[in-house]
Amino acid sequence: MLLEMDQITKKYGGFTANRDIRFNLREGEIHALVGENGAGKTTLMRMLYGMEQPTSGTIKVRGREVSFATPSQAMASGIGMVHQHFMLFPSFTVAENIVIGREPAAAGVFDRKQAAAQVNDLGQKYGMPVDPWKKVSECPLGMQQRVEILKVLHQGADIIILDEPSAVLTPLEVKELLANMKSLAALGKTFVLITHKLQEVMDVADRITVLRDGQVTGTLEAKDTNVEELSRLMVGRELVRLDKQPSVPAEAVLQVEGVNLSGAKDRSALKDIHMEVRKGEVVGIAGISGNGQSELIQVIAGLRNADSGRVLLSGQDTTNWPVRRIREHGLAHIPEDRYMWGAAKDASVRENGLMGHHHRLQTRGVIKAKAARAMVEGWIKQFSIKTGSAETKAQFLSGGNLQKLIAAREFAQDAPFLIAAEPTRGVDIGAMETIHAELLRKRNEGAGVLLVSSELSEILQLSDRIIVMYEGEIAGELKADEATEEQISLLMAGGKERI
Amino acid sequence: MNRVKETLRGLVQPLLAIVIGLLAGAVAILIVGGNVFETYAEMWKGAFGNFYFFTNTLARSTPIILAGLGVALAFRAGFFNMGAEGQMILGGLSAALTALYLPGPGWFVCIAAIVAGILAGGIWSVFAGWLDARFGMNLLITTLLLNYIAIYFGGYMVSYPFKDRTGSAAMAQTPMIDQGVWLPKLFQGMGLHAGFIIAIVAAIVIYWFTHKTVTGYEIRMLGSNPSFATYGGVRRIRMMMLSMVISGGLAGLAGAGEVLGTQYRFLDGSLSSASYAWSGIMATLLARSHPLGTAVAAILLAALQTGAMGMERNTDVPLEVGSVIQAVLTLFVSAQIGYSFLKRRKEKKSNAATV
Amino acid sequence: MQQLFDAAMFGSTLRIMTPILLAALGGALCSRVGLFNVGLEGLVLIGAFSAIVGNYLFGNVLLAVIFSIIIVMLFSALFAFISINLKANAIVVGISLNFLATGLTTFALRAIFDVKGAYYDKDMVGLPKWDIPLIKDIPWVGDVVSGHSPLVYLGIILVIALQFYLFKSVSGFRLRSVGENPIAAQSIGIKVRGIQYGAVLMCGILCALAGAQLSLGQVTMFTEGMTAGRGFIALVATMLGQANPLGVMGSSVLFGFMEALSIRLQGFSLPTHFTLMLPYIVTLVAMFFFKDRTYAQDALKAGGSSR
Repeated sequence: MLLEMDQITKKYGGFTANRDIRFNLREGEIHALVGENGAGKTTLMRMLYGMEQPTSGTIKVRGREVSFATPSQAMASGIGMVHQHFMLFPSFTVAENIVIGREPAAAGVFDRKQAAAQVNDLGQKYGMPVDPWKKVSECPLGMQQRVEILKVLHQGADIIILDEPSAVLTPLEVKELLANMKSLAALGKTFVLITHKLQEVMDVADRITVLRDGQVTGTLEAKDTNVEELSRLMVGRELVRLDKQPSVPAEAVLQVEGVNLSGAKDRSALKDIHMEVRKGEVVGIAGISGNGQSELIQVIAGLRNADSGRVLLSGQDTTNWPVRRIREHGLAHIPEDRYMWGAAKDASVRENGLMGHHHRLQTRGVIKAKAARAMVEGWIKQFSIKTGSAETKAQFLSGGNLQKLIAAREFAQDAPFLIAAEPTRGVDIGAMETIHAELLRKRNEGAGVLLVSSELSEILQLSDRIIVMYEGEIAGELKADEATEEQISLLMAGGKERI
Repeated sequence: MNRVKETLRGLVQPLLAIVIGLLAGAVAILIVGGNVFETYAEMWKGAFGNFYFFTNTLARSTPIILAGLGVALAFRAGFFNMGAEGQMILGGLSAALTALYLPGPGWFVCIAAIVAGILAGGIWSVFAGWLDARFGMNLLITTLLLNYIAIYFGGYMVSYPFKDRTGSAAMAQTPMIDQGVWLPKLFQGMGLHAGFIIAIVAAIVIYWFTHKTVTGYEIRMLGSNPSFATYGGVRRIRMMMLSMVISGGLAGLAGAGEVLGTQYRFLDGSLSSASYAWSGIMATLLARSHPLGTAVAAILLAALQTGAMGMERNTDVPLEVGSVIQAVLTLFVSAQIGYSFLKRRKEKKSNAATV
Repeated sequence: MQQLFDAAMFGSTLRIMTPILLAALGGALCSRVGLFNVGLEGLVLIGAFSAIVGNYLFGNVLLAVIFSIIIVMLFSALFAFISINLKANAIVVGISLNFLATGLTTFALRAIFDVKGAYYDKDMVGLPKWDIPLIKDIPWVGDVVSGHSPLVYLGIILVIALQFYLFKSVSGFRLRSVGENPIAAQSIGIKVRGIQYGAVLMCGILCALAGAQLSLGQVTMFTEGMTAGRGFIALVATMLGQANPLGVMGSSVLFGFMEALSIRLQGFSLPTHFTLMLPYIVTLVAMFFFKDRTYAQDALKAGGSSR
């Protein structure tokens, strides 16, 4: 056994993130660590990488017990981690990012030429060539991930932990990544792949460990199992099948006509977008994040002005209207980043819930405090939002509960048009099901819902029609019940198949 | 119950800060060879010892409360408006000039002068806001720079065009304002004037405005998370301008109040040397930008200052000990802001550990 | 007009820009590790006062400067502790530090020298004027460059040294990484806190030198509030120079020139108030024209909201 983690427990105050975990690695294997959001996967690996220490339990590398107080100590034992959110320095070059911490130097002076040479050698050796002089900020995400992997290889890692590596990659880049992993494993490197994408796991893993609620529910050989079993071990019960009646769409509540938006570096963020959402239907925008979905939502919601084109809401031209006017005309918006757009962490639950309703709940400029509190407390009950009280500050809510609050707030607008952008990102299964159920209820009641998600399963589950975006354009439009994952993946990657 | 505990916990920190400040002052007193208890006793007497001193303290606190309220509002909105001094000076200058040259009955001119002071301060403040909104010029720095420009401009005005040329004194000041225009005193023979009432009313109004009204809500959310506010429909530029206008207006009102209620003229440097504006900023920091807390902190700082003057009169200890206490207090509170944040982060980690 | 732009004027520029340059270099270092140091004004003031006190205590200019360095380093360590360890909002701490500097120097002026407003001792010796051999004999250039206090030359040397340090050395590279992405730097094992402390302490040294130049460089005296906003102008110089030593030098020269010009103009028949306003107006104008230079704007935002 290359690595053994035994009886690992991690507590944060009263909360147990990992309980009695047993996890081990054989040399040269690709071992997947799966579980839903909040299961404890990243916490476990952070302990392996020295960013946290276990409350109890032992870690053994090659039979010798170790304890890592810092990442440097983990690195010294040959463990490297590629984080979910890249740990790169955008204005530094590729070579600088790879060699930082072990820079080739002469008398304290950084030898950048030597660094470039080392990077080229590394790239050749492992079949992942990169341009050492390019600024990382100018590299596409797939290239950036390569830089991260080369970085840990340069550090001499034998065990490489990849945390949700495919979240930001195109399907083609994911294929490349998995192929690189296999060839590196053949050269003797060992991988831990943290993910919740079960199909990828089946494609590349040798063994799989499943976590649920901080505990191991199973360690299996990949060849002995399948996606359904893994799913069951992850969730513990059958996923609730959503009862979706066929949609009876009526007139259009949102029309986007010829919207263009210029982006960074002479590239268009949005190119000639034509689309519509009708009352009583869910339109899902699929695509890897970063292909213009965020910008499109911002233009529709009034957070950004388009360069040209029109947006019509319930038949009214709302192009470039101020946000408040658009909202009052009939738009609700669950934003994709709840901490940046969706809430103010210093403010209380009640104050966060008031946003968007504050003009309604007033008499002559004074807020109706009682009514506001009653409204928010109603949501807390209805959606089982776990919070101390309505006065608790938002920063103390877990991701899932905060998302439920935000969703409740936007649902309560009873708007004819609702935007739901990444509504269940980073959210536990319970909250996810609540939000999905409510989205469908709104749709059944006649609202038009625009769903944006980088989770294909979510799109397929909820949408009536699917639009795929790629590089700021609409790559294709499909009816949900006729679409297959292959078709959508192809469009997401830029393939030109159109129905 | 939770709220009572939270309030109590919120009080522990300022009380602790006061203790630390007094300790620092004690050290300073010892350095100059004074007796700590006697000195502090004299300080207390100087601030609250008798009715005269007490009203003096309140009179001194008047411009500090007003300036502090202005800064508190701006800080709450998320804007580092450091220009209270310049806004106060221009407010005082405008009030003095209006009071001197506007014809009309006394009470009318007085009110007009106050309005002129508010407008001058508001315009000077919103100018900096406009530079930030339109040109991206860092507000903290522009307001600081504008202070100096306002100070020198005020000095120029009373050294040349509007200088008091009656009498033999060659001071850089305006002529004295006609008595009919003065803000009335609240008590016979005491320095406390109606400006204090205005200040207290302003504190209550600003509190009510920020915490109970729709606009106040929008301003607070803007300060807490500007992206969230924009997403919810708050018009950022509009709210920024509004906050800056009110903020500057309050500082201008502070200057006008001093001119109309205490000094009866605009005297170059008088508003600066008393550090009213900076004490106002300190009061805001001490009270974490809460309007009512700022008023209380302002009175506290004024007491420190008048107390220190009393201390100097009756002991060998210089009044600058008061500056030391104030500064240590403020530093400690700014550090405490971090301390409570650190405690909260530990709590947060235990409640909401992410994957 | 020729009277205005003569060699003495440019010589004055070098002398006057030095406090701004030194403080701005300190600000640049803090900026490069992710701390927006609004307290430069206070640190320079403490430096100016401590230099006078040191001179008073030791009767020796070199010891005075060293004394000043030690004192200012203590205060910058305080800034570092509260901003880094206690995680307080660096801007609020900086503002408080400025208050502390004003209060303490005013108090110490009374306590040590028993004066209010200013301290001046006609027998106190300030910084020497160094005549540089060979250069001093070059017409015009000699008048401009030679004959300044050693801190002026130190400032220029530091610009080159810091430029080299930040962009050529390994240590400087790691320092820049701390400001660029502290979490990433931490994850590699770079000692983020240690580097931040080092930068802030170095900033303290530079501010002490800036203060010493102010109080010992031309006229040997300390006046209450003698920094007169130079710490904030230095902050602007840092921002305009994008925390880059050479860029900082450029903006410092500009501001130094403007201040020298405003002093010159006092000889003319304009009211002094307008000439005194000039440096601040120029700084505003510079901020207007270079409004896209937002490097430190991000640092400012990182400092969080004013609540």
